[in-house]
Amino acid sequence: MKRALWIGLFAVAAVLPLLLDPRGYWIRVLTLTLLFAAMAQAWNIVGGLANQISLGHAAFFGVGAYASTILLVTYGLTPWIGLVVGAGLAAVAALVIAVPTMRLQGHYFALATLAFGEVMRVVANTWASLTGGPVGISVPFLPPNPLMYSFKTGLPHAYIALGALALVTLLFEGLRRSALGYRLRAIREHEPAAEVIGIDATRVKLIATVISAAAMGALGTVYAQLALFFDPDTIFGVAPISIRVALIAIVGGIGTAVGPILGALLVIPVEELANDVLSGKAPGLSQLVYGVVLIAVILWRPRGLVTFFTARRTAKPRAPGLVPEGQRTTP
Amino acid sequence: MAIVQAILDGILIGGVYAVISIGLTLVYGVMGIINFAHAEFLMIGMFAAYFAWALLGIDPILAAPLAFATAFVLGWLVQRFLIQRVLAAPSVAQIFLTVGLLIVLENGALLLFGSQFRSVNTPYQTMSLSLGPLFVSVPYLAAFVLSLLSGLALWQFMRRSWLGRAMRATAQNRNAALLMGIDADRMYALAFALGVGLTAFGGAIILPYMTASPTVGGQFVILMFTVVVLGGLGNVLGAVVGGLAVGTIQSLSSLAFPIQLQNLVLFVIFILMLALRPEGLVGSRR
Repeated sequence: MKRALWIGLFAVAAVLPLLLDPRGYWIRVLTLTLLFAAMAQAWNIVGGLANQISLGHAAFFGVGAYASTILLVTYGLTPWIGLVVGAGLAAVAALVIAVPTMRLQGHYFALATLAFGEVMRVVANTWASLTGGPVGISVPFLPPNPLMYSFKTGLPHAYIALGALALVTLLFEGLRRSALGYRLRAIREHEPAAEVIGIDATRVKLIATVISAAAMGALGTVYAQLALFFDPDTIFGVAPISIRVALIAIVGGIGTAVGPILGALLVIPVEELANDVLSGKAPGLSQLVYGVVLIAVILWRPRGLVTFFTARRTAKPRAPGLVPEGQRTTP
Repeated sequence: MAIVQAILDGILIGGVYAVISIGLTLVYGVMGIINFAHAEFLMIGMFAAYFAWALLGIDPILAAPLAFATAFVLGWLVQRFLIQRVLAAPSVAQIFLTVGLLIVLENGALLLFGSQFRSVNTPYQTMSLSLGPLFVSVPYLAAFVLSLLSGLALWQFMRRSWLGRAMRATAQNRNAALLMGIDADRMYALAFALGVGLTAFGGAIILPYMTASPTVGGQFVILMFTVVVLGGLGNVLGAVVGGLAVGTIQSLSSLAFPIQLQNLVLFVIFILMLALRPEGLVGSRR
């Protein structure tokens, strides 16, 4: 039953691009929705399975985007190989950041990853000889050639994004059901208890972070080839990437395979629609509407839209009053 | 001599950093919530003081209590109607509620006030006192003195008044405080309102040497978190030490690095601090 639902969903997504104008606006919205769903799914490996709330995933995304684009500009290397290199470099970046932060939990981990993303942004802005600096970098125009990741219309991009989403979702689901996934969930429930039964928490979290970062790096290339231009402030941005990706997973339902997809289906179209309809009216209005929608969703479904479909097993927010001892998070 | 001058400037600016960050650490200490929208209340304080100056001709420093009151009321409402409702929700919902609030406040300001940068004219703006070979900028000094006074006022309030004690009791143990007849939810609202009010107060007193714009909060987010983490999350006295440290580090690194890299120094210290001493400079391991 559940499998039939997934196949049906995938079939709809596979047919939908054919119905849209391949050079039009809506296919772009669809592609971005699928791409951000895939990014949120990659984030979900760390954020959902290990419950480590990263606010710095833009770091890995940007490393991937810059790696493939710089290799293409400088050496004419096809972005398909650049994608693999970018994923590898993002995994290395994850190892570097993991050394000081893996032991941190909760708010401390969120703040440390936030700062790491900002470090990457400042470095990309400053190291202009490599990245082109604050003016940004363009993917050079090439005649359409699938081997060079260059296409005439938006249609192949939509399918690449769909394929990426399917792959990352399978990766997430595979991990969730693997021994690693069970270890991660044991750590999420109670880290000291997990360590007592012989789980090396630091190592398990590290593996999850590296996998998540590599997927994010590969998606950075997909984004670069779609956007054809980016600068450090967008690609390493806190608001446009790090926060948005985490938000999509959280709005949809953290730790579930369907959550990031639901979240992206809400967040990206709402944002695009608000931009399209309202941005001409007054500056700030579209983003204001976006913010209000987010607050409303979080107040309405603090555990994500996915609870809309699952049975009402989750408890309602407790009425003000006595809170069981230990519920308040202490650092 | 340049180094002594830089340290002096750093301490003067650091005092203000301390006051704007105390609110953030107070909210965390009492409620266990990290308010990502906190820096937006600095922006609100700056605009409150700006309009008091532009429309009523009140000096921004004298308008600081007005900025405090505006943010206090707004903060009370935000806590009562938004934050209170996610206190029992998972911490990701709490984080992202405040992120949503950040987006709403920043863009609300953009909508209301426009994107232009606004600054005030005051007679003391460019004045400075000379202490031998050193110079003390009058607006920096004024902001520092007021920071000191407001910090002391908060300290006295928390130590001596019944409300302050009740708030600290709630922070220590919510259940015990409830059993002693303290309305814990009211303490939460008070802590939040006081926290954002103090930050708005800081926004008003720096207006003589800063320009106000809807995006000014973004410049202070990481800075505030660095101050708070240096001092130990939730530790009010620590925030003072953290503020002075960050001000001095920033001022000293301006001697050696171009402006973009000054922030990098701050971020690296921030990450190292989290990794090596997450309980802060002055905290003890709990």
